[in-house]
This record gives sequence, C-alpha cells and structure tokens, in this order.
Amino acid sequence: MTAHSTKKHGSLLVKDARTQRRNNAELRFRAYGLTAVIVGILALIVLLVSIFSNGISAFQQTKLMITLELPEAKLDQKGQRDLDVMKKVTTIGYSKVLGNGLIDQLDRLGIATDLKDKDVREILSKESAATLRDVVLADPSLIGTTVTMEFLVNGRIDGYFKGRVDRASAELDKNVKPGQLDIADALTEHGLMYTQFNLDFILAPDASDQRPEAAGLGVAILGSIYMMLVVLFVALPVGVAASIYLEEFAPKNRLTDVIEVNISNLAAVPSIVYGILGLAIFINMAQFNQSSPLVGGLVLTLMTLPRIIIPARAALKSVPPSIRDAALGVGASRMQTVFHHVLPLAAPGILTGVIIGLGQALGETAPLLLIGMVAFVREYPAAFTADAGLFGEASTALPVQVFNWTQRADPAFVERASGAIIVLLVFLLIMNALAIFLRRRYERRW
Amino acid sequence: MTDLPIKISARNVDVFYGAIHAIKSVNVEIADKMVTSFIGPSGCGKSTFLRCINRMNDTIDVCRVTGDILIDAEDIYDRRVDPVQLRAKVGMVFQKPNPFPKSIYDNVAYGPKIHGMARNKTDLDEIVEKSLRRAALWDEAKDRLQEPGTGLSGGQQQRLCIARAVATEPEVLLMDEPCSALDPIATAQIEQLIDELRSSYSVVIVTHSMAQASRVSDRTAFFHLGELVEYGDTSHIFTNPSDKRTESYITGRIG
Amino acid sequence: MQEQHIVTAFDRDLEAIQSNIMKMGGLVEAAMTGSATALDDRDVDLAEQVRADDKKIDALEVLINEDCARLIALRAPMASDLRTVLSVMKIAGALERVGDYAKNLAKRSVLLLGSTRIDGAEGSLLRMIKEVESMLGDVLNAYVAGDSDLAETVRLRDHTVDQMYNGLFREILTHMMEDPRNISTCMHLHFIAKNVERMGDHVTNIAEQVIYAVNGELPEDPRPKGNIAVADGQ
Repeated sequence: MTAHSTKKHGSLLVKDARTQRRNNAELRFRAYGLTAVIVGILALIVLLVSIFSNGISAFQQTKLMITLELPEAKLDQKGQRDLDVMKKVTTIGYSKVLGNGLIDQLDRLGIATDLKDKDVREILSKESAATLRDVVLADPSLIGTTVTMEFLVNGRIDGYFKGRVDRASAELDKNVKPGQLDIADALTEHGLMYTQFNLDFILAPDASDQRPEAAGLGVAILGSIYMMLVVLFVALPVGVAASIYLEEFAPKNRLTDVIEVNISNLAAVPSIVYGILGLAIFINMAQFNQSSPLVGGLVLTLMTLPRIIIPARAALKSVPPSIRDAALGVGASRMQTVFHHVLPLAAPGILTGVIIGLGQALGETAPLLLIGMVAFVREYPAAFTADAGLFGEASTALPVQVFNWTQRADPAFVERASGAIIVLLVFLLIMNALAIFLRRRYERRW
Repeated sequence: MTDLPIKISARNVDVFYGAIHAIKSVNVEIADKMVTSFIGPSGCGKSTFLRCINRMNDTIDVCRVTGDILIDAEDIYDRRVDPVQLRAKVGMVFQKPNPFPKSIYDNVAYGPKIHGMARNKTDLDEIVEKSLRRAALWDEAKDRLQEPGTGLSGGQQQRLCIARAVATEPEVLLMDEPCSALDPIATAQIEQLIDELRSSYSVVIVTHSMAQASRVSDRTAFFHLGELVEYGDTSHIFTNPSDKRTESYITGRIG
Repeated sequence: MQEQHIVTAFDRDLEAIQSNIMKMGGLVEAAMTGSATALDDRDVDLAEQVRADDKKIDALEVLINEDCARLIALRAPMASDLRTVLSVMKIAGALERVGDYAKNLAKRSVLLLGSTRIDGAEGSLLRMIKEVESMLGDVLNAYVAGDSDLAETVRLRDHTVDQMYNGLFREILTHMMEDPRNISTCMHLHFIAKNVERMGDHVTNIAEQVIYAVNGELPEDPRPKGNIAVADGQ
C-alpha cells in the first residue's frame, strides 16, 4: 500500500474544457426548449386574447324598453281573438305597431330627431317584431292595452354600445345613421336602452343573416349534446369491448396484427373521410334523416372509436402482468381476471381516453358538413317525434355553428362566432377537468 | 431417494415457444409433502417448466407443450381438464410479490369466493384467518385486514401472496423465485414458512439462489439449456453431483 | 483440477490453500527424511533441526485451517470445492500428526545415542520409514494431480507397512528375549516402529481424503488391517 492515493485527474474545483463545452451545450438546449415553450404559450395567449376580446361581448346584449299600445284595429280587426285569424297579421304589421310605439315614446320623452320614421324604426332589431307577435299570440288579451316590453336593438346599435361602431364609422355605413346613435344615447340617458347579460345567446336558436343580434347557440348546444350522448353510448361500450378483446383475448396472429395496424391508421384518417363514409352508409344506405344528431353522432362515433381504442388498450397494457398472473394463479378465469382486476385498474386510463375522444368529437366540423349538419336550423329540434324518431330532426352542432357564422357578412357575427368558440372551449375545459378528476379519483397504485 | 408417494409426474415433456425449443424431453417425478427445488442458469427453462405444472403457459399464445404431466395420475393437459379448476388445486406464488390492489382481507378471500368455497361471511372469515395463520401473517395483519395489501412490506406482501395461494386449499404449491425481491430477513421468514408448508403440500420452488435451494428443499433438479440434467436428493446434488454440468454450475465455474 | 471459477479470486484462494498444503507436505517429507537420517547416523544436530522444523509445520496447519474457515465463510463452496476444502482440513490435520511422529522419532533417536546398534531391526525400521515416506510422496502427488487411482494404490500399500511392522515386532521381540540388555533399546525401536506404523495410517487417511475429494465418496471396501495378526499373536 502506498501512502498517497493515485491522482490522474486535475482539481475538481476547476472545470476542464470538455466539461465546460458539455455544460454549454446543455444550457443551449435548455434555452431552445424554453424558447419553444414560450412561443407556444404566447401563441395560446394571443389566441385566447383575440377570441375573448372578440367574443366575450356576445354574452352581453343591448336592449330597449318600449312602452307601447297594442291597437286592436291593427292586430285583430275582427275583435274575436281568434288565433287563426290573428296569425294572418304578419311581422310586418307588428313591425309598424312597434315602430310607431317607439316614435311615440321618443315624442313622449321629448327626444327630437331629424331622422325619417323608417330610420327610427330600424333602431330596433328585425327580430323584435317577431318577438312582439309571439307575445301577443301567446296572450291575445294584451290587445288593446298598453304594455312595456324589452326589445332587441339593431346589431349596429348593439355594436355602438360594445365599441364596434362609432360615429365616424357610422357616417360611412349605410346600415346605420349617426342620428340613430344620437337617439340611442338619449334613450340610454333615460335608462330605457341598456346592455345586459344575454342568456338568449346560449338558449336561443340561430337567426338569419339580417339579425345577428338575435342569433343564439341553443340548437347547436343541444345538437352537440345529443351527438355526444350518441358517441358516449355507442363508442364507449364498443371501443372498450374491442380493446379488451384485442388486448386480453385475441390470439396474437397476423389477423390481429393487421387489425392493430388498421386501428392506428384509422386514428390518423382525416375526419372528412368519415363524413363521406357516414353519408354513404347512414344517409344513402340506411336512410336516416339528413342533418340529424343521430347520424352526426354515429359518424363521430366512427371517428372516435380508434381514438378510444388506442388509449384504452394502452391503459390495459399498462396494468402490470403480475396482477393477471396473480388472478390466474388463484384460479380466476380470464374473464374474471379482466373484469375483477384488470379493468378496474385500467378504468381511469380508459375514461381519460374516452373523454379526450369525446372532446375531439365535440370540436369536429368537417364530417358534419358532409352529412348536412351545416343547415340553418331556426327551430329547436324535437327530441322525439313520430316521423323523425329519436334524435331524428335536423340539428346543428357547436363547431358547425362557428363555421356558419364566420361565413356571414355582418361583423356582428364575428362576435357571435368568437362567443361560440368560448362556449366550445368551456365545454372542452369541463370535459378535460372531468377526465383529470376521474383519473385522480380512481388512480390506484400497485 | 425415499419412496414417498408421487404427486406430480412429468413424462417426455417438451415445450416450444414458437420455434424455440425451451424444454427438452423432461422426465421428473415429484413426491408429495416434500419441497422440490428447480435450479439452473437464467433461461434454462426451470420457470417455464414450473408454469407448465399449473398451465400458466396457456396464456402465452405461441407456447406449445407436448408430453404428459400427471398430477395424482391424471394428465393435466387432457382435453377435459379446465385450467381454472387445475389452478385451484395447484397454487402459485410469483417472483415479485403481487397482491391485488385491494384490502388484505379481499386478497385472501378472492380465491375462495370465486371457487364458491364459503357459504357465508363467517365461513369466509374463517378461511381468511386460517390462511393468514398458515402464512404466518395473522399476527401482523389481523388488526389491519381492511388496509390495502400493497401497503405491507415486501416480505409481508409475499406472505400475503402465499396466504392467498393456500386459501384455495391447493395440493401443490408452486413458487417462482419467491424471495428474489426480498431482503435476507424476509427471505428467512419465507424459508421458514416453506419448511412448515412442507407437511401439508407438495412444494415446488424455482430459485436462483443455490444456497436457498440447499436450505429449503429435499430434492433438487438442475436444468440446463432446457434439459433436466440432474435430479436427486438435495444433499447429494450439493456435495457430490453426478453430472459435470451440475458440478460446474454449483461450484460457479464457466461451463 | 477443473475449469476456472467465474470469480477468479475463488481460484486464487483455493490455490493459496493448496500451495500451503504442498508446502506442508514438503516439510513433513523433509522431517521424515531428516529423522530417519538422524536415527541412522545418530546425528544429534539433525534431530534437533527436525524438532525445530516441526514448529513450522504446526504453524502451517493453523494457517491452513484459518484459510479454510475464511473460504467457507466468504465463498460458500459447493460440491467439489466443498469437498476440496473439507479434505484440505483433514489432510492438514493428518500431515501435522505425521510431522509430530517424525519429531518424536527424532527425539528418540537422540535417546538411542550411545546404545548398541541392533542392525537387523534398525535396517527393517529404516526400510519401513522409507516405505511410508514414499507413500507420503505418492499421496501428495496423487493430491496434486487429482489422481484417485494413485491414491488408491497408496491406500492399499498400508497393508505392506502393517506387515513390515508385524515382522519388525517379532524381530524386536526376539532381540529382547535373546539379551535383556537390549530391552531398553528395543523398547525405543518398538515405539519408533509403532509411530511409523501410525504415520502410515495417517498417510492412508490422506489417500482416502484425496479419493473423497476427487470422487465425492470414501472408498467402500474396508482397508485391509494387517496388524490384527499382532493382536492375535500377543
């Protein structure tokens, strides 16, 4: 034994050139990574800011309170309050009554304007006449009385309250006149025109090009929910059963290899292809109703299946084989092994996969366009009717509604589309939160 | 060798994994109420052969077994034999302690439940207690039966697995390297347990530790490259093996 | 012996013990030769030398026992290795006993100094010592070579030694009956002869250990016992 130890290296207190180079390389790599993450976060922030700045105002709506007479002479000439007869008076008739009511109200309040009566009437939304008609037809006893009601204002006036329209731009816009804005200001001072939370945006059905202020997401949300129910009740059992069979029971041979490869490929197939498939199978062959949530749900099911099967198989695969051995070792059958031990352990993973698959399906647009869900739906689809069947009537879906609105000319629809995207994002967020919650809740250690 | 009744008898057993010939014409007779150990280098086929005895290899698609394995003179590879029934008769303990992620009670009760061995809760309680006692775990576990089995220490988990295996009243107990993941104290406890189990079961244990084989077993079989090279009384194998390959393996020589 | 161990340090340890055994065997052989020469030449200095060298033999035995204990504890030898270690311990013990007898022989050769030579008996005695010495040499060779056949021949040769002892016993008896003045010398010669016979027995034990180490079994047939005749004759 020698008294002193061998020394081949230099002092540990000094970094040698090689170590220095390695450390620098690592630092550079970290910097790249951090940059990538920051770019990603910035992109997300820009996206969210633009959507929210455009869309949050969709949840607010400007309304006008009008106190008006409902003259019997105009609305029910025969005075019999017979609904069939009353229905002959169209919205045009109501529009005049409403317009006069507004003009009278302006007179009463002493708001002077040099606008023509037609321009004054246009302060109100084209929808408001229909609203009034609906109210009157629902309660004919109102005729002849004086009522005070809220009405939607024109999209441009609404835009004025939301900062989208100002006097300078109004000069150039033939759809709005600065005089209307003066009236709006005056009415606001009297507390008759105000902006409030817009529940109709979430509950009301879509409206035509001319009335962005009346357009809502109700049908789209309902359609999306119907479709998600279809996807959940079809894709979940089928997908889970398929993945359990493939993972636990199927023999490993060429056929299952082919199936496995194909499932992976299907997950990567562009979603519009599923739309064509759905069009061919469900509409042309099976004769389901076009644009119905059932067809949409089935098409989305087809698309979602591989996306459920793949994570479900991964979850099953991640259950340690020792658990299977243990169950088989005490004499459990394969079925008991799977259902007593493997599946409970894989459940959080499977559920996560299912919910993420549902989330993807929720945001899917392309295949729905092909099966006609792009249709303009003015009425709530009935959940069940004799001739259309369950989920049978034409409907639309959230992402399709976004697509639809972004194609329309009126800038108010940009706000509506962004608002719809916010609703969609909220739904996705809820589903992802649910996925995380379920995973946390049921995750077990072994 | 002594003349205890034969429990397991293997005749010309060959096992193939696809094209690989994993076990080559093994003949062996394993006595009742004795501890038999299988030793040999990794990949020699000892675990494969062990898993043939309760047909755990059935779960591997490419695995094919030929020849006869008889337990109590019945061919367990007969068409009429259901492996599920067989595995109730031939219990197994694995290399890594693998309790179910359930309570200690449920771990032990699972086997008797699925085999319908208990008519009611009292019966089941009795079986659980008896099995835990037999696995020398009762004193440590009786106050925490509802706690998860995975919360026990490694050695306790392995004893829980033994309790789970004996709960179905097996006649043969197969152990696949039961101590390889355990510390020496836990190993000693398991070895003591094996010594006690000897009186009730035919125990077959695969082990990498020759010292363990020599400590716990009455008879030892040495496997090499899929062949059963030598089978005999443990004391004989470890002092004076007949085969050169056994000698090389036991003494730790390259061979 | 066989192929190497995977852990070569095991081989080094075993070799170290074996080389100590060979060293011990060499010392014992030298002690026998020395004591025989001392007896023949009545060489007191040589006899003292043999007695002094016996301490080295004893020390080596202690060393070998310690090494064996360490090897068993640290390397857990199995099968042939185990037998080797066990036989090494026994061989070391036997060699130590042989060494003691050689020392005793040297001691007695000093006592015989000045007494009359009884040429016939002493000649037979020296031949007997030579025989045992050659047996010891052979058994050590058999040990080194792992040659159980050679060890077996050594074991059988013990019969010859016993017969030589029987012959010598009668010869000494005759000398004592002829002339009582010889009795003291003859008694010493008889003790020496008895010791040499015992040496032969130990060498035979070593041969048996060699057979055990190599074959894993002790020889089955009992060793031919030549000196039963003596017991009968007395």
